[in-house]
Amino acid sequence: MADYPSRLVGERRLFDGRKVVIRPVRADDDLLEREFLSSGVSGESRYLRFHKWVGAPSDKLIHFLTDIDYERHMAFVCIHGEGDEAEVAGEARYVANSDGKSCEFGVVIADAWRKSGVAGLLMEALIRVARERGLTSMEGLVLRNNPPMLRFARALGFEVHSVPEDPITLRIVKTL
Amino acid sequence: MDRIWLNSYPDAAPAEARVRAYPSLVDLFEESCRRFAERPAFTHLDVTLTYAELERLSARFGACLQRRFGLGKGDRIAIMLPNLLQYPVALFGALRAGLVVVNVNPLYTARELAQQLADCRPSAVLVLENFAYTLQQALESVPVPHVVTTQVGDLFPPLKRWTVNLAVKRLKRMVPRWRIAGAVGFRDALAATPGLERARLGADDLAFLQYTGGTTGAPKGAMLSHGNMVANVEQTLAWVGGTLVAGEETVVSALPLYHVFALTANLLLFVRLGGNDILVSDARDIPRLIRTMKKSRFSAMTGVNTLFNALLDADGFDQVRRANRGALKLSVAGGMAVQRAVAERWQQAMGVPLVEGYGLTEASPNVCANRFDAKAFSGKLGLPLPSTEVSIMDKQGDAVRLGEVGEIWVRGPQVMRGYWNRPAETASVLTPDGWLKTGDLGWMDENGYVGFTERRKDMIVVSGFKAYPSEIEQVAMLHPGVKDAGAVGAPDERSGEAVVLFVVRADSGLTADAVREHCAKYLTGYKRPRRVEFRDSLPKTPLGKIFRRRLRDDVLGADG
Repeated sequence: MADYPSRLVGERRLFDGRKVVIRPVRADDDLLEREFLSSGVSGESRYLRFHKWVGAPSDKLIHFLTDIDYERHMAFVCIHGEGDEAEVAGEARYVANSDGKSCEFGVVIADAWRKSGVAGLLMEALIRVARERGLTSMEGLVLRNNPPMLRFARALGFEVHSVPEDPITLRIVKTL
Repeated sequence: MDRIWLNSYPDAAPAEARVRAYPSLVDLFEESCRRFAERPAFTHLDVTLTYAELERLSARFGACLQRRFGLGKGDRIAIMLPNLLQYPVALFGALRAGLVVVNVNPLYTARELAQQLADCRPSAVLVLENFAYTLQQALESVPVPHVVTTQVGDLFPPLKRWTVNLAVKRLKRMVPRWRIAGAVGFRDALAATPGLERARLGADDLAFLQYTGGTTGAPKGAMLSHGNMVANVEQTLAWVGGTLVAGEETVVSALPLYHVFALTANLLLFVRLGGNDILVSDARDIPRLIRTMKKSRFSAMTGVNTLFNALLDADGFDQVRRANRGALKLSVAGGMAVQRAVAERWQQAMGVPLVEGYGLTEASPNVCANRFDAKAFSGKLGLPLPSTEVSIMDKQGDAVRLGEVGEIWVRGPQVMRGYWNRPAETASVLTPDGWLKTGDLGWMDENGYVGFTERRKDMIVVSGFKAYPSEIEQVAMLHPGVKDAGAVGAPDERSGEAVVLFVVRADSGLTADAVREHCAKYLTGYKRPRRVEFRDSLPKTPLGKIFRRRLRDDVLGADG
């Protein structure tokens, strides 16, 4: 099991002043992650994340999302509340490509936490780690019918490109 | 941008249509009933309702909604009928009473119907008895206060009514047993005390919630106002006006009227013109359609590519052609791309061009059409209609140069008010200055013709009906033997596209037939997979996003 990068745990504040914890995901976050993906996030949001219908997330998917090596696969969750009250407000992650230079990233925010500042905090943490790890570019695939994500990506300095022979998907790229 | 397309208009077509000719569809309807009172309005199986009869019957239906059910302006009524005489009676009755009409595909499964009813929450449903069992199942999860049921022959004269209703029920066994407490028969509903109190309606009042699919399969109701619909009727009329003569036309309505294209282009336009609408309740029954067409001298017809293609190949079409020689003035195709071969064969056979148009539910629906005096098939979507602006935009929302590909944006009085109860989705397609982003990619040439490149949205168009991959995947994954599923569209000669479903099995014994059977329980015909293929896994990115394009390539590769 990979060492947990505790130094990346941090307390932050949202636009409205509420306190949240931004930290790398842990293997024992499986229940929180399942709750997040099945109830926190609507079917529509899951569709935008996976580009297909995802119903109840499978054990395999939850394992893939929470039990990570913090090297090739890095993920941050935004946690609000403590103990039994704790919930995932959003998550951002990347998986490095085999070239060791670029990575694919994705970000999902719980429906109730949209526009609260969660996505910005998560991406800030994710981009910082990606740079530290020597990655030089971050890219993602976004459906054309997801204008909020495209606006957010542009604001973070991502460039938007079309994907050859694929009318429904856009590729967004940022040099780190 | 300048409206360069105006230079390509036929002389008879004005730049602006009289888009405010009537305050509401009810005013339009009532004027036609006065002007054309004794003219035939709708004909089904040789039974005709005149405009005067339609006026009288629709007033009674409207009175039932108001007096007996206590409904009024703004309440919704779902109409779940194929093309029958009852359809215009109920439609105009409901509109005159001030209700908002929600069209429902009668072939929907209980799951699809329940989803739509839950979204629009109607106060009443009118259903053909053949589909009452589906409604009964849907009502278990979404109760509706008032249900009216009708039998096919309910508006036929007595002898014919009894024979038709008996044949449908007993001989052909087309009515699954149903039981809905408190349901009122259509004839009983019409017997209500007269006294329709005509609703006061203006252009901004809603006339229809016209449902269209969403990316996750949850349907969205486009709010189409009386003003939207009147405008689109007048815009379409301004375009074809030189071709058609009020009070003299006959149109064949083979496409379902619950679909927005036939609703505007057949029903509303020809009511406006005082024409006779020949109703065909099942266009897939080509021999019956041919018999109907042989009997009626028709001057106009609408369809989708699939239908025109099937007609051209059908036994007996030559007799239709001969019987109708010299009568046809106008044939229009919408809903899906028209194939050049089909357009050319049709023009050769019928002597008039197969005019391709372009529209979408959110625009009531007509946006573009080709010229009706075209000598040859343009292969394009056509010119923007009168009082319609079309602009081709890049990703930043700036207009591209002529000839360059971008997203087709539309502005005009036919553009919807938004999606019912979905402000976020409304905001993502309607700009503050009134543009509708269609999600279709295209370009405009130097003459103002709009060409279509491809869809931006993840959907599959089957004979003009839109199927969304995510809905099909969602249904497939309800099957315990399915671990993962991905749906894509494959080119299909007959229907334009067909659904192909890739399945990762959880149960190695699962067969393609079992998957198809399962899908048929939850999905109406056009959404069902034509082909089911099994895979060990679906192509995904490192992060777990599906590569739908690779699945599509797979389909094309398999076809050689």
